[in-house]
Amino acid sequence: MNAILQTLVSTIVQGSILALISIGMTLVYGTLRVLNMAQGVMVMVGGFAAYTVVDRTGVSPWISIAVAAAVTFLLGVLTYYMAVKPLLGRPGVDFEMTAFITTFAVATIVQNIILMIYGPRQKPFDPLWPGGINITSEVSITYHSMIMAVLAVGALVALGLFLSRSRYGLAITAVAQNLDAARLMGIPARRVYVVTMGIAAALAGIAGVLLAPLYFVYPNAGDLPLLQALIVVIFAGLGSVKGTIYASYIIGFLSSAVAIFWSSAFALPVLYIVILVVLVVRPNGIAGKPQEARL
Amino acid sequence: MKSVPLRALGWPQIKPIPLAIAGVLAAILPMILNSSYWVGVCTLALIWMVLNQSWNLVLGYSGIWNFGQLAIYAIGGYAAALVSLHTGLPWPIALVVGGFAATLVSLVLAIPSVRLRGIYVSLLTFGFSEVVRLLVIADKTGITGGTFGLSGFDGYGLQSMEPQARYRLIYWIALAFVIITLVAMYFIVRSPLGTGLMALRDNPSLAAARGVSPIKYQLLSFGISGFFAGIAGGLYAFTYGVVSPSLMGLGQMTLLVTMMVVGGLGTLTGPLIGTAIITLVQAELQNWPEIRLILLGLVLLAIVVLMPRGVVPLLAGRMGRLNSWMSAGESKESKPTATSTKT
Repeated sequence: MNAILQTLVSTIVQGSILALISIGMTLVYGTLRVLNMAQGVMVMVGGFAAYTVVDRTGVSPWISIAVAAAVTFLLGVLTYYMAVKPLLGRPGVDFEMTAFITTFAVATIVQNIILMIYGPRQKPFDPLWPGGINITSEVSITYHSMIMAVLAVGALVALGLFLSRSRYGLAITAVAQNLDAARLMGIPARRVYVVTMGIAAALAGIAGVLLAPLYFVYPNAGDLPLLQALIVVIFAGLGSVKGTIYASYIIGFLSSAVAIFWSSAFALPVLYIVILVVLVVRPNGIAGKPQEARL
Repeated sequence: MKSVPLRALGWPQIKPIPLAIAGVLAAILPMILNSSYWVGVCTLALIWMVLNQSWNLVLGYSGIWNFGQLAIYAIGGYAAALVSLHTGLPWPIALVVGGFAATLVSLVLAIPSVRLRGIYVSLLTFGFSEVVRLLVIADKTGITGGTFGLSGFDGYGLQSMEPQARYRLIYWIALAFVIITLVAMYFIVRSPLGTGLMALRDNPSLAAARGVSPIKYQLLSFGISGFFAGIAGGLYAFTYGVVSPSLMGLGQMTLLVTMMVVGGLGTLTGPLIGTAIITLVQAELQNWPEIRLILLGLVLLAIVVLMPRGVVPLLAGRMGRLNSWMSAGESKESKPTATSTKT
């Protein structure tokens, strides 16, 4: 009973964070057809930005979330100008693949710059709200993980409202749905790309701050989130926002169940086998459309 | 006249004189370099050449975005090391066993991969290699040695030789495998299999409609590529006497992908030249490890943005333009003979 309750709690927390990271990837893929391999690095940079601000100025960690979001937003925009814009509309080159490689290169560059500045050591980061409550004698939730879930869900709701209500969000949705039609309606697609890359990175940056007290801040902190987010987006089918949210919680549940009932070392391999089966049965994920139809 | 349609098909042509010069230079290189450090660097470059050549068959010629090759390479290395550690078989057999183990894993990876398209393949294979790495790191049974890797096996069994002669011999063994791989790739690319793979890369639906089976051809491409990757892994294991999870990982992948992209994907000499250039740059930067990977990332970014097809096709294009410019001048000067040969 306790283990089941623990799994549920862990599912909600992990699923929300996963959704926050992978929604950025799916949003970028949906609008630009770029699989952003720098998303994991954004998680890590978010953590470092928050750590630096708290460490140097001593402000409350809550303010550092905003700083991390701003820093990663700018880095996302920079990634667009460095890695994606030069490739747009170039004939004779497979855009999706070259962009995959260039964003990967950006990830390597950023990760090693951080490594050079801060060194490989893990940096501690205080929880946003220390302490916790015990549900039963053995199952406890820290306040921090509650805040993680609440903030992540809040950010997702805000993103949903942004995409469906605001002027810029509607532009992103329009470009993702039909690039040509959106351009004919006068939407400047390339500026939408900039905003999308920025927002996706900022979401990952927020996730990075939330994850920092759990996994510390260090230059490889983005590797595991990237891998999990990749699993989520394959499972969901790239470009589907709703599918990504469902998939995040399913993957969150699976990985916490395996970690609690078996061993955390096997969480990723088990997920990977699940993904293999899903891909063989449904090659475009649970909600993805066939790729030809989306090109 | 035969060379024109061959070039139009994109088949590699043998240029005997440059090849012979490069071969002789490569063979006498350990004699010229009188430091064991540089011979070691060159040996590593040769091992990477075998690996990149094998990777290029899938990535460049078949156009399947397989980013799991490093895991296959490492599995070949582990298999060869385990054979060497637990049995008394001679090293060539251990290498071949490693190659076959890698082929097997590569085929298993290929089964879901050939069903997918484009970006999903890269996701799947990239995830595969990371999971293999994490599994090895988490391995507590002692079979693979976990984080610290596997060591203590015989390797080539040359421990009794004096160091300098040993380094040279190991270098020549690696060089022999580079040549074997190059020749094998040449014949594969020239064969109907190679043509079929390129056809599937350039126009999958047309190729399939003309009777080129995507699943059969791409499985073959994965299998062959896996075999040579496994051999490269075994060479690494026997050269350094250790295999560890550090054979895989993001940094290594960046390094090898940069080599192939710099040289030119889908060319035979591209992986060789790219590997040579990047290894040299990396070895020169040995004393500044922090900026090594940053520079590598910048080079990768710059090459993809500025010359996405790599150095070799760029130079080949320039060379072709020079040739046609020369021959155009010739035909202009000696017009009567040109027309007389035509008729």
